[in-house]
Amino acid sequence: MAGAGTGVGVRRVLAGLAGRAPARVFVVAGRDARESVQGLRLDPRLEFVDSPRAAAILLVVGDLPEPLLAAGLALHDSMPRPRATVWWIPASGGPKRSDFPGALVVRAGEDVAAAISRTQAALLLGRRASEPDLLPDTDPAPWRGVGPYGQGGTGMTGGVPYGRPLAERAPDRDGLELDQLPVGVGPFFPPFPPGFVLEAKLQGDVIQAAALGENAFARTEPRGDTMAAVSGPFARALTQPVLITELELARARHHLAWLGHALRVQGLGALGRRAWRLASGISPVRAQEVRVFSRMLEATRSLGWATASVGVIDTALLAQMAPGPVTRAAGSARDAREEDPAYIALGFESVVQPDGDARARWRQRVDEALQSLQLAGQAGERLSTPVGKIESPRGTLTDAVSPAAELLDLVPALVTGMEWGDAMTTIVSLDLDLEEAAGRPVPAA
Amino acid sequence: MSETLGLLVGVALTIVVVGAGAYLVGVIDAAIAQVVAGEALEWNRTLAAPVRGAAFLLLQERTTTERPDAPLWAIAPALLAGLAATALALVPLGPSGAVAEVEAGIVAFGALGALVMVAVYFHGWAPNSVLPLIGGYRFVALALSYEMPLALVLIAAALPAQSLRLSAIVASQAELWNVLRQPLGLPLYLIAGLGLAFRGPLAFPDAADLAGGTRAEASGAALLLWQTARSAMLVAVAAIGATVFLGGWLGPWLPGPAWLAVKTLVLLVPLVAADHLLARVRLERFVVIAWVVLIPLALVDVFLSGVLLL
Amino acid sequence: MAAVGAALTVFLTGVGGWLLLRWVGDALSPARSTAPQRVPFTGGLPLEVHAWSRYHARYYAMALLFLAFDMEMVFMYPWAVVFVREGVTALVEMLMFIIILVLGILYAWRERALAWA
Repeated sequence: MAGAGTGVGVRRVLAGLAGRAPARVFVVAGRDARESVQGLRLDPRLEFVDSPRAAAILLVVGDLPEPLLAAGLALHDSMPRPRATVWWIPASGGPKRSDFPGALVVRAGEDVAAAISRTQAALLLGRRASEPDLLPDTDPAPWRGVGPYGQGGTGMTGGVPYGRPLAERAPDRDGLELDQLPVGVGPFFPPFPPGFVLEAKLQGDVIQAAALGENAFARTEPRGDTMAAVSGPFARALTQPVLITELELARARHHLAWLGHALRVQGLGALGRRAWRLASGISPVRAQEVRVFSRMLEATRSLGWATASVGVIDTALLAQMAPGPVTRAAGSARDAREEDPAYIALGFESVVQPDGDARARWRQRVDEALQSLQLAGQAGERLSTPVGKIESPRGTLTDAVSPAAELLDLVPALVTGMEWGDAMTTIVSLDLDLEEAAGRPVPAA
Repeated sequence: MSETLGLLVGVALTIVVVGAGAYLVGVIDAAIAQVVAGEALEWNRTLAAPVRGAAFLLLQERTTTERPDAPLWAIAPALLAGLAATALALVPLGPSGAVAEVEAGIVAFGALGALVMVAVYFHGWAPNSVLPLIGGYRFVALALSYEMPLALVLIAAALPAQSLRLSAIVASQAELWNVLRQPLGLPLYLIAGLGLAFRGPLAFPDAADLAGGTRAEASGAALLLWQTARSAMLVAVAAIGATVFLGGWLGPWLPGPAWLAVKTLVLLVPLVAADHLLARVRLERFVVIAWVVLIPLALVDVFLSGVLLL
Repeated sequence: MAAVGAALTVFLTGVGGWLLLRWVGDALSPARSTAPQRVPFTGGLPLEVHAWSRYHARYYAMALLFLAFDMEMVFMYPWAVVFVREGVTALVEMLMFIIILVLGILYAWRERALAWA
């Protein structure tokens, strides 16, 4: 009895302490959620964790298309108790409440970080009950007894019979025939953009074969409209004049936000926060800060150790692609802005990198962000000229071509044969986005 | 009787140092992260962060996976912590020696370093999950690469002392610290030490590109224990480094343990800062660098130290 | 011997303390493991196979190289203790031994035994 009393007392003291810790959040981002999540990244009340096992709050953002919803439910159930779901609807419209019963729904205009923080404190103090599983408690691979060859009996799989099969062997380039693991990674694997699924065949830490899972955003709602999913003012600029300052600041912000994510995947979360801070307060007068940051990245070897000579794209493939930071990082100077009289008047000249590896793509985006800040500072009230194509942060966009979709198509061939870490570096360096890629034009039947 | 009492006090002291060291690493880490991120340093939050985080994890359920190797999963953080504590117990605190005044101190430390491989591999293997598994195997490649430079620079330090005992190595630095006498030693040791504590540019097994690697499936107390053991290992690396290269407890005015603490801190800060300032290296590249550059440099260190003694 | 006993005591106390803390954590927050919670994390997709496998540790050649050096290390510890007493003889002998081993590294490097991806 006394023991139970002590336990309650200890719990209360710990809850008092833990209730003031930042809320540990795992994000499941659905449609139109990217920008909104970006806005939360710097909030000191939140800590974004890489695995649901470390989280107390599942943050569902926006509407989840069907296959992503299934993954969201599975991730919800894999979280340790106490746990809660916060469903944030940054845009107008209501959620299908039945998908995450018990979720706290936060709508546009409400302080979502405060809601998350309050929810975690309430969970820890026992004022809010931990959410039960959403999926049935049935074993996905129940015991099937000892097999005809004695498998599932005793041995390296732990000695406890279990129904999930073991990996099959497959040949490898060094002549050894060892197990090949088929693994589907995603759609909410933190290094990847939301919805990205890599169907990999792993032997050791090398990806022997890779394929992309279906794009969940395309499957449920074929738009046939390249533009709808392109963020920022770029889609608008395709058909009407837009302030160059607005376009270029949006580009700089995009590249710096990407940089923050890329730094995080390289294990440099604090530097990533710095990049996000620069992105959130972007303005031409702060170009010097970006320049200092870029020098800092070179000095800390953030560019170089992990990225040099990783993920070089075949030149024949590059030649067929729409121009963009990825092609310019491989030495091709093409840039849609060169054809816009307004940019020509500003003396625009595209910047390039020669190497074509992941490091060149990092440097390219930093350089383009700096160039954008300079252009934004010079442009004044100048307007862009709609010439049928526009240089979006992922590349030249036209009515017919989506650069995001082209980049996505590069992935399987590029990561095949790569060590896991190199593959992650490469995928991050392409700046993929499933939603934008889903807007690819429907081919004529 | 008094010997037993002394042992008990020593053991208790070591465990306290392990806990305090893990807390200290947490504070330094939070402070450096804020500075690097360009944020205003909030001391209240920084000082409380490790305690609040620990309380949070103690209140979180410890999840398991399908058919994990439960005993290995339980033993991995405990083994790492035990090894860190033992390494700290080897450090001489003053003229009277260490809690465990082992005759072949640097051999013992090398042996502990080799056993870290077992702890991290267990932690990666046990959950029966792909990401931790890759992390575990990555660490084996890392450990096989840093082990040699680590042992070699310690051997170089043993040459002037004519002994493998850590107290003798401290005594041999009465006139000149090894950091000056063997200038290659400390940098090589710190690189290998980052590998031993798998942090910063050598954080392969627990890397962000594996969503946490060996700790991707750990939650609650299991995660807390793993993280604190890892921090304690970093403190042990810094303390041994201070002993072997910065003259250990030697120093004027202050008592020996105070000097040791100051010197340990001097090494601990850059080791923790490496986490936030140096990008992770490619594993393959590190293996090549370790064998082709670091090991030959460590051998040069050994022979130069030898030549100076002739 | 007493020192080794002390080291062992510290080791066992550390291991025991960590296991005890784990038990405390379990007592404070008892786990109610369910089937959907046990699914390993790869981003939300269900699994096809066990993760445990005959893993292709591609650095096996390097591991063999390590064995050679680990044996060399055993010789170097006593060598370090007697080095000052033996003088130049010790230096030259070890130098010859090490040069042969370093040539081994260079050969392995040339054969790309240290690279695997």
